[in-house]
Amino acid sequence: MAKRFPGAVITSLLAVAMISAPAARIAAQGAPPPPKNPPPPGWIDPRHPPKEDSSWRPSLTPDGQPNIAGAWAQASDIITYSIEDPEEERAEHIAISGQRAMVGRPIVDPPDGKIPYQPWAAKYAAFLHREHLSPSRLEYLDPVSRGFQDGVPRINYQGALQIQQFPGTVLITYDYHHSFRVIPLDGRPHIGGAIKLWMGDSRGHWEGNTLVVDVANHNDQTWIQIVGGFHSDAFHVVERWTPASPDHIVYIATIDDANVYSRPWTLRVDFRRQKVEEQWESAVWEGNKTPEIVSGDAKK
Amino acid sequence: MRIAIIVGLAVLVAVPRVAAQQPPSAHPDFSGIWQAMNSAAWDIQDHQARKGVPAGIGVVEGNEIPYQPSALAKKRENFEKREAADPETKCYLPGVPRLMYMPYPFQIFQAADQITMLFEYVHATRFISTNGSRHPPGHIDWWMGDSRGHWEGNTLVVDVVDFNDETWFDRAGNFHSDALHLVERFTLLDADHLNYEVTVEDPKVFTRPWRMSMILYRHKERNAQLLEYECYGFDNEFHVTPPK
Repeated sequence: MAKRFPGAVITSLLAVAMISAPAARIAAQGAPPPPKNPPPPGWIDPRHPPKEDSSWRPSLTPDGQPNIAGAWAQASDIITYSIEDPEEERAEHIAISGQRAMVGRPIVDPPDGKIPYQPWAAKYAAFLHREHLSPSRLEYLDPVSRGFQDGVPRINYQGALQIQQFPGTVLITYDYHHSFRVIPLDGRPHIGGAIKLWMGDSRGHWEGNTLVVDVANHNDQTWIQIVGGFHSDAFHVVERWTPASPDHIVYIATIDDANVYSRPWTLRVDFRRQKVEEQWESAVWEGNKTPEIVSGDAKK
Repeated sequence: MRIAIIVGLAVLVAVPRVAAQQPPSAHPDFSGIWQAMNSAAWDIQDHQARKGVPAGIGVVEGNEIPYQPSALAKKRENFEKREAADPETKCYLPGVPRLMYMPYPFQIFQAADQITMLFEYVHATRFISTNGSRHPPGHIDWWMGDSRGHWEGNTLVVDVVDFNDETWFDRAGNFHSDALHLVERFTLLDADHLNYEVTVEDPKVFTRPWRMSMILYRHKERNAQLLEYECYGFDNEFHVTPPK
């Protein structure tokens, strides 16, 4: 057997670790507490971001777009495990793995930092949260851990990304799982509603220096976080990518799903410029053993 | 890059490249959505129709593939077991060149220092450096290999190495080892037709290099765009959201 690059294997190890994570879940009330663990150097707190120089303007590409090309990685310390309460929900995982606790809470509205589920949906979310510790059925395991694409917005805090700009198109290629998004800027309508996509259907336009991307046509299979942040196929995301300084993009996603959430909610990610590097192969499905491990087959 | 700890971005290794945005006018512009119109994904050689497989005139020049004797036996065995043994049936990244003639569209974006190819099939990608960089120190086992391109006149020449031995050329069991070395040549015939040739070399499997050639056609539909074929997304267990 030839050697494989380890993307999927590490994802699988994550899944193993998360089986024994705790079920602690803090009831939504008021603003979340400040981080208990030390944030990394240069952390941009999504909830208390620094003020940028509002007079700064990005350069323009030859076809007149604000230039946001380059390599970017989130500086918000968000982990896909949980965007609602990363420290508590991952505490046992951290204790086992020795990994650093990540502290970013990207949900800036509602103020409590929690996904505003409708009552019935909150019950199902709580069920999925309990299940993620040791799923009774494979479909209750995080879809990314099963080898599927992240969907939007999760892919934006799953790993680093690169933006290329072409006349009429913004292209985002992601380090993780060779995911990509082609974002046309020509005003074309979304594809027909019968077509559902793992990564949604993106349509962009510029409002001043902000790239506004309407993302529709999502399927109902992706999760916003490993602990079970679900949505229906009425999921709708409006992204606002605003260059705030030469090395900083502010990303605001407004998320709605009238079938599942009680109100639209907003998530913020701050991206910091990285050195542009080649994006090497990130095969995920090819070596993914997570479902077998979780279902116990790997032990047989 | 701290997310890397969690999601396995250890696959990423730093090699600088210069960002750029516009194709230089000195080179032909391959930007657009393309697709092969042949049955090479089922069989790269001459074949009559089989159930579920369209007949096809082969894309192998001279139609013969110069297998070493033991490799020819392996190819025949692969053919017999193809319905289960073809790695494509497991939805793995199908490798190069097979991905170039899978029956799905792909899109080319062209910058001065890199050509990006995005594929509808399993959302595969190819990043082809055209900045004069060399293959990384190898050997590396990649499904899609490592592609380095340069221009020879109006032809984009891409050298591809660093493959694993787990992909096939087609459903008919034509295979290679990890010593596979490809030289691809992309040349515009006119605005909407791209001539694609690939020379195949693999001293562990073939007695000499051999070549395939075919035409790639531009999608002209005004609303053409890549959709998704998430091959492994059809028969796995899905979670079902309970009704309200």
